Order: sequence, then structure tokens, then C-alpha cells
Amino acid sequence: MIKNYIKTSFRNLWKNRSHSFLNIAGLGIGIACAALIYLWVEDELNYNHHFANRKNLYKVKDQQTYDGTTYVFDATPGKLAEGIKTEIPGIKRTSRATWNSKKLFSAGDKSINEEGYYVDPSFLSMFELKFIKGNAIHAFDQLRSLVITEKMAIKFFGNTEVTGQTLKVDNQQDYIITGVVEDMPTDVSIQFEWLSPFKIYEDNNEWLQQWGSNGIITYVETEPNANIEAINKMMFGFVQTKKSESIAHMFIYPMERWRLYDTFDNGKETEGRIKYVHLFSIIAWIILLIACINFMNLATARSEQRAREVGVRKVLGAGKSKLIAQFIGESLIMAFIAALLSVLILVLVLPAFNGLVEKELSANIFKWNHLSALMGISLLCGLFAGSYPAFYLSSFNPVQVLKGLKLKTNVSAVFVRKGLVILQFSISIILIISTMIIYRQVNHIRQRNLGYNRQELVYLPVEGNVVPHFNAIKYDLQKTGFVENAALSRSMVLQLGSNTGDFNWEGKDPNKQVLITVESVSPEYISTMGMKVKEGRDFYSNIKSDSNNVIINESFAKIINRKNIVGSTVTWGDDSKYTIVGVVNDFVYNNMYGTAAPLILFTDTTSVNYLTVRFKPNSNLSAALPAFEKVMKANNPGYLVEYKFVDESFDQYFKTEKLIGKLAAVFSILAIVISCLGLFGLAAYTAERRTKEIGIRKVLGASVNGLATLLSKDFLILVLISCFIAFPVSYWMMHNWLNDYDYRVAMSWWIFVAAGLLAILIALITVSYQAIKVALTNPVKSLRNE
Amino acid sequence: MIQLEKISKWYNTNGARNFVLKDIHLDIEEGAFLSIMGPSGSGKSTLLNIIGMLDTSDEGNYRFFGESVFDLKEKKRTELYKKNIGYIFQAYHLIDELTVYENIETPLLYQDVKGSERKAMVADMLDRFNMVGKKDLFPSQLSGGQQQLVGIARALIAKPKLLLADEPTGNLNSKQGEEIMELFKKINTEDKITIIQVTHSEKNAAYGDRIIDLLDGRIQQNIQ
Ligand SMILES: Nc1ncnc2c1ncn2[C@@H]1O[C@H](COP(=O)(O)OP(=O)(O)OP(=O)(O)O)[C@@H](O)[C@H]1O
Ligand SMILES: [Mg+2]
Repeated sequence: MIKNYIKTSFRNLWKNRSHSFLNIAGLGIGIACAALIYLWVEDELNYNHHFANRKNLYKVKDQQTYDGTTYVFDATPGKLAEGIKTEIPGIKRTSRATWNSKKLFSAGDKSINEEGYYVDPSFLSMFELKFIKGNAIHAFDQLRSLVITEKMAIKFFGNTEVTGQTLKVDNQQDYIITGVVEDMPTDVSIQFEWLSPFKIYEDNNEWLQQWGSNGIITYVETEPNANIEAINKMMFGFVQTKKSESIAHMFIYPMERWRLYDTFDNGKETEGRIKYVHLFSIIAWIILLIACINFMNLATARSEQRAREVGVRKVLGAGKSKLIAQFIGESLIMAFIAALLSVLILVLVLPAFNGLVEKELSANIFKWNHLSALMGISLLCGLFAGSYPAFYLSSFNPVQVLKGLKLKTNVSAVFVRKGLVILQFSISIILIISTMIIYRQVNHIRQRNLGYNRQELVYLPVEGNVVPHFNAIKYDLQKTGFVENAALSRSMVLQLGSNTGDFNWEGKDPNKQVLITVESVSPEYISTMGMKVKEGRDFYSNIKSDSNNVIINESFAKIINRKNIVGSTVTWGDDSKYTIVGVVNDFVYNNMYGTAAPLILFTDTTSVNYLTVRFKPNSNLSAALPAFEKVMKANNPGYLVEYKFVDESFDQYFKTEKLIGKLAAVFSILAIVISCLGLFGLAAYTAERRTKEIGIRKVLGASVNGLATLLSKDFLILVLISCFIAFPVSYWMMHNWLNDYDYRVAMSWWIFVAAGLLAILIALITVSYQAIKVALTNPVKSLRNE
Repeated sequence: MIQLEKISKWYNTNGARNFVLKDIHLDIEEGAFLSIMGPSGSGKSTLLNIIGMLDTSDEGNYRFFGESVFDLKEKKRTELYKKNIGYIFQAYHLIDELTVYENIETPLLYQDVKGSERKAMVADMLDRFNMVGKKDLFPSQLSGGQQQLVGIARALIAKPKLLLADEPTGNLNSKQGEEIMELFKKINTEDKITIIQVTHSEKNAAYGDRIIDLLDGRIQQNIQ
């Protein structure tokens, strides 16, 4: 029986090769596309799974409320790690860690900047580092010791037999290599090339002893069955037991959520990346649905050809259930061929997809969960797509179909078929519109005026003698003729890292704390960036003359809200009093979609980290950059000149959005391609069905044009209806998406019109091929065939 | 074997009942060879289809071996049908995608006959109809007469008690037709299979031991 079915199925497939091809190709593309999404989602969900102990790993989060708004930071006090380990039950180990920082390492004539952290020894075992040389227990026995990755060892020495060797750090001290560890995989949150004892950092940063200063990361490992709620209860008030007036409330945040969540809105965890994981999972199902719809449509549309077979089989004694089994079997066969095809497609496009999403996904078809997912999906598609045609076909009345009469077109079947086409195109149009709006939003934000000119602006971390020699460097740079100005600052201009609620001014509600961003800069800062002084004056070029003066931004001025802002004073903490000498225009920082938060600028270069250089407008960068590098090298020998463009760093902020845009584009193209495959098949079928009618019409004098229109019209109406369904749905969806961004593009009506026209055009091209083909056939031929 | 009582069938056209069959009474004994004649459109095929359980009437009663066919559930009816009835068409209605062998085999598949037994039965049939050499050909590679032979073999393979044939020779020349009729006669007398055939030819009708004449859905003549 099964053999007989399989035989008929294959012969049927072969007999209708082009039809089968459309069907299988559509489903194959659909499955391949879903598989890509599956791999992407799997990778996201498996992030940090490298750490077997991940269920017990946490980092401490710091929650502070200012004026009703709660902010959540990773920064914690230096003494927290030790304190919670000894005082809170359930916490097994803790480690302090600095932020990822670049240091210059040199061995012989090799000098390379590498990123890493200063950490406590417990870090090495908490994160299960795999030592190739050395071990986790003794690696940090010495103060200036260094654990490096295999990659870094090979870079400097060509091999990993390097324990006992030394590397000079920042052209100052020699550190001894006490361990070499395996490279970190790319899909974990902890990324470094070197690790060094936190003690070194601690000795140089006295503020770590204060409970009020938050500046390092604290990692926590809990006991396996620790009561996290109880731990967090104690964490909440922990800092207050040391410093009662503190407003910092700590909690531990599990590693499992670092990647996909870890965004907070007013203290509440919100969806982070997981939003996109969900979104793309839904899109995967939708694309499969579109592919299955093709399958159903083509199968029912072709039912006439199968009708006689159904009739005969019924006469030969086939019950309805056996026929249903046969047709579902056929669609399962097709689905499995499609699955094979999808594997082929997957292997071919995976490298390109990897480039697109910047991941290293591999198909691993024989991994059991991949294989079972593939089989499961093809089974599901086969069953789902085969069910409707199976029930439809098996319900034919043998007497009618065997009379040799053409089936009366089944009204409900046609209705379903049209409905399905409308559904497909609605989804496709929604995806097209979404893609266009995402692209426009990304472009919109990338073209945003930040309040200064971010072109021709480079920045680099200051090392060695840059700060003491700053004036000489600036002079030399300007002398090259390419550089307009240069400035020092604590943070790079896009990301201002420190803020405080400790400022007071006349007229401020004493019960309210206002979070103010604090930035220390050299006097050239405002002019180098190209910001505008709105009131008062810029800093004097003599840094000492403004040591008690500050410049604030417009937002802060608005908050102080008084006449004669310039000349008024603010106090920091209990004693330090500063006079406002100027108001600088609001410029965007930290949140590229937001508006500028209140800011205060000091002239102070004692703790600056960055040098920013402004080139003259339209300068020839291929000449300017080498000149700039030469000046830097001459003034700061022994250090690398690793600079970045501000506008390129700015673009990095939109990586996720750009990725989402690209993925949306890929998937909407696929959706429309699959829909068109189906439409093409339906058009071919309609054309075939109406050959006789066309023949007669031609004999009666109809023109080719008129006939092509006649055949295309029905389909275009369907696409048009799809537009009217897609427009409000996509409007609503994109409205919600855009709402997450304060700075957003308007949804212009032309996007909708353009997407609609695009869909109609594509559908027209698809359908008209068939229509014209039929309209051009010789009527005598088609009539004789009947 | 077959008892039809007051069988009527009609179609509604423009609100008016258009009778295709009207008050048909018919008793058919097991082992009979009945020919149904009548002008085109008189309801012959309709009557045959009702007897063959492919169609239902709008009024009346139909007993098959004492079972009231119209009262049976679809599953039961299919069961009764496939155990007892073989069907032959004017247009052969072979399955184009299957070979001669597979076409003949198909009814056995629906009766869940075991593989080895099936093989033997099909081989037997092929032998009997002299088509062993053609067993791997597809219907399109056969002449009309040969196709009809396959159709008959297929109808007989499951050893039905009743063979229904709707103008089995309609698409054949008279010599081929005669051969088929001889075959029918043989099946009827040797295998004791009841045959009901629809035909336009007096000559073919005469092979039967009983002829009924339909006109406008009524039995006009009943010649034993
Ligand atoms: N679906 C239908 N709707 C209306 N009338 C129908 C339908 N099917 C059949 N008829 C009518 O039923 C009548 C009997 O048809 P049937 O096929 O039984 O005729 P027949 O005697 O077999 O004719 P022929 O010798 O041409 O095969 C015909 O007049 C036909 O018009
Ligand atoms: Mg007839």
C-alpha cells in the first residue's frame, strides 16, 4: 500500500515537475530561512553557556534613585566584594574587576595594545579559566603577575611556553607571566586578553576604600542552592550598613540574563535583546506559514488534475481516510525533499549570513537537536500544508469526477485560496514596510545633529607623556597645517561616564537629588568639538584661572532656572563652590536617541583619559593622518597611536538597529520571493485552465493586451486588498517600535504607498509572464486540444 | 441479491423537479446477467451508480443482500461495496501514473490483502487476460481494447459478486466489443458473477439473460 502511494506520489511529482519544483523550492526556502533564524536564536540563547557554573554566577548591580527616576549601574564600591562575601550567607566567592581597559604591552621591539582586566584571584576559578600553563591557585601569588590568553602569548612569543617571561606594561613596569589560558569563545560576556591582580589597581586608587564611590564591577558566585531572594534582601540595604546616607541599593543579577536582558527602565528590568529573539522567532514561523500556504494553494488549485484519480480510487474501494493518508503522505514526501533542499540552501548561504549577523554559526546538521528540529519542522509543514488539500481532494464525489465533466469550481475552495494569497501578501507588505521604516529610523539617527560637528574628529586614549606634553603636542599638531585644534577630556565625547547627585544651588529643593553628569576637560574642549557657548564665555586658555569656574549645559541651566545664570554658583558636596561662567549648547551623549541630560564641565586635566583632535574641514585625511601620527610618535615615543573617528564610534551605537534592519530586509525579500513562487504557480494554473476561454476570446477578436490584463487583474486585486490589510497593521506595529526611541523618524505616508506599489509591481511581473504567454498562444491549437 | 423499491432521483432545475429516475422497482437474482438499455439521458448510468453505491437516490429503498444500503454509515457502505462490487467504465479510468500491474493490484491494496497473496492474484489475472508481457506498461502505452481488458481485470481481481459495467464497449470497435462480451458471458456462467451492464447495442444486450429498457427514468420494458 505504502509502496503504491509512494510510487504514485513520485510519478505525480515527476509528471508535474515544474509545479513540484515551485512547491518544493518555496517550502525549501522557507525551511532554510527558518533554520537560519533558528541558528541565530539558538546562538543568542546559548550565550555564556561556555560557563558550566553559569547558574551560580552573578554581577552586582547598583540601583540609585534621583528625583523619582531610578538608574541601574554596574559600578560598585571597592569594598563591597569583601563585605558581602563575609557577611551575606549563600555567597561563596566574589571578585572585583576593573572595566575592560587597554594597556600597552611590549616585549623586545614588539608593542601591542591589549584589552584586559585587573581582577581578584578568585576570578580565575569562578569563571573556570582553562590554564594551558600555570594554574588558577598560584597565578596571582606575585603582585605584578600576568595571566594572558593563548592568542596573546602567540602574538608576542610565537608559542605558549611563556611562563616566567616578562612584558613591559605602558612602558613602565615589567609584569611576569604566570599563566596562559585558553582563548575565550566569542559568545561570552567576559572578554579579555590579559588579567592582572586587582591589588595593583587598588594600590593606585584610594577612592576604592570609600563606600560612596562606585567605580568597579563586582562578580559573585553563590552557593549552589543559595536563596537568591534572601541574598538580595540583604544586598539592598548593605551599603547603608556601612554608610547610612547612601542611596545606592545593590542586587545581584544572574549571568543567564546578562546577554538578553540587562536593560532597565526606571529600575525595572525590561526586554533587551530578547525582544529581537522573540521577534525573529515569530518571523521564522510566519515565513514557514507563507511557504505552507503556497503548498496548499498549489495543491488545491491543481485538484482538477487529481480529481479523476480520486474518483477511480474511490470506485476501487478506497475509503476517505485512505485517500487522506495518501495525500498527506505525498505532502510529507515533498516536505522532506524540501528539507533536503533547505540543507543545501543553508550550507550555501550560511557564510553570507554569518557575515551579516557577525556570528560564527554552523549548520551542524547532525547535531541531534538540529536534526530533530529539521525533521520536526518538515513533518509539521508536511502535515499542516497537506491537510487541507487532502481533505479537499478526498471529498470529491466519484460519480461527478468520473463523468469526465470539469469540476464545478468549488466556491469555498476558491475563497480559501484567495484568502491565503491575501494573507501571504499582507505579511510580505508588512515586512517591506517595517524594513523601510527601520532603515529610515537608523538613517535618521545617524544623521542626527549631536550639537557639535562629529566629522573630522578623532580621539585616542592618552598614554605616557601626552598630558604633561599636551601644549607642545597641540602646537606641533597645529603646525602641520591639518589640525585645527585639540583637547583633553576624561571621557570620550559620546560617552560621559561619571555623574553625581551631590550638586546644590540656590533655589534647589533640598530633598531632591538631581543627577548631573560631570566631565573634566582642557580649556580647548568646547572649541575643538565645535560646540557653541550660548551665554557667558568659554574657558580661558590658562587652565588655572578657571579652576573654580564651571560651564554648564542648557539642560542644567533650565533646571537651575534663574535669571543671570552666568555668575551664579553651584556647590559640590559640602564645601566646594563653583561659579558658572558660561552655558554651552546641549549636545547629545550616552543615549543617542535621547536629549542631553544636565551636565557640568570643569577645566581639570589631572585625570583625563582621552585626546580629541579636530582636523580642518575637508582636509585630505590620507596626508593629515600620517602627519598626526608622526607628531604623536615624536612627542610620545614608545606608544602606539591607536585612534578612532568619533563618527565611526557613533555608528557603533546603532549596531543592533542596523542588524535588525538588515535581517528584516533579508526576511522580507524571502517572504516576497516565496509568495511570488506561489503566485506564479497559481497564475500558471489559471492560465492553463482558461486556455480554451482565451482561445475563443481570441477568435472573437480580443487583443493580446486585453487578454493579459484580463488574466492579471484578479491577482492584482488580491494584492491590492493585501495592501489595505497590511497598512494599518504595519502602521500599528512600527508605531510601537518607534515609540521606544525618543528621537525618531516620522512615518510618512509615501512609505506605505511605495511598499504597496512595490508589491503590486512584483506581483504584476510574476503574473504577467503567464498571462502574456497564454494570450500569445495560437487559438487554433488550444481549441483543438479540447 | 438486489432489491430496488420505488427508487426516484431528481435534480432541481429552476425550482422544478426534474426526474432522472422515477419509481424504479427492480429485483436482481444472484448469477443474473442484466443489460440496461435506453436512449441517451434516460438515466441508465444514474441507475447503475445507485446500484453501485456511488450515488444515492432521493426516494426509495435499496437492499443489497438484505442490507438497507442507504441506511448504512459511509464506512460500512464502503466495506460492503469493496467486498462485493467491481466497476468497469466506458472511459476505462485507469490510473495514468500506475503500470498495468499496479492498476490491477490497487483494489487489493484497499482490501488489505497480503503482499504474497496479492502477487499471486495479480499474476493469475495477467495470465488469464494474456497480458503478462504488458504488465510494466503504462495505460497510455496500450490500445483502447487492451486498456478495457486491464479495467476488467482490475474489476475482477478482488473476486466481486457483482460486476457493473457502464458501456464497457462504447469506445471499442465491434470485434473488440464482441470479445469483451464473450468474456462477460464466461465470467457470468463459469465464475457465477452477477453482471449488470449498460449498453446501446442490441447485440451486446443480447448476451445478457435479461434486458430492461429505460425511458425518461422509468422502466419501459423488462424482458426475461
Ligand atoms: N448534476 C446534474 N444536474 C442536473 N441534471 C443531471 C445531472 N447529472 C445528470 N443529470 C441528468 O440526468 C439524466 C440522466 O443522466 P445519465 O448519465 O444517467 O444518462 P444516461 O442514460 O447514462 O445517458 P448516456 O447514454 O448518454 O450515458 C440526464 O438527462 C442528465 O441531464
Ligand atoms: Mg451513461
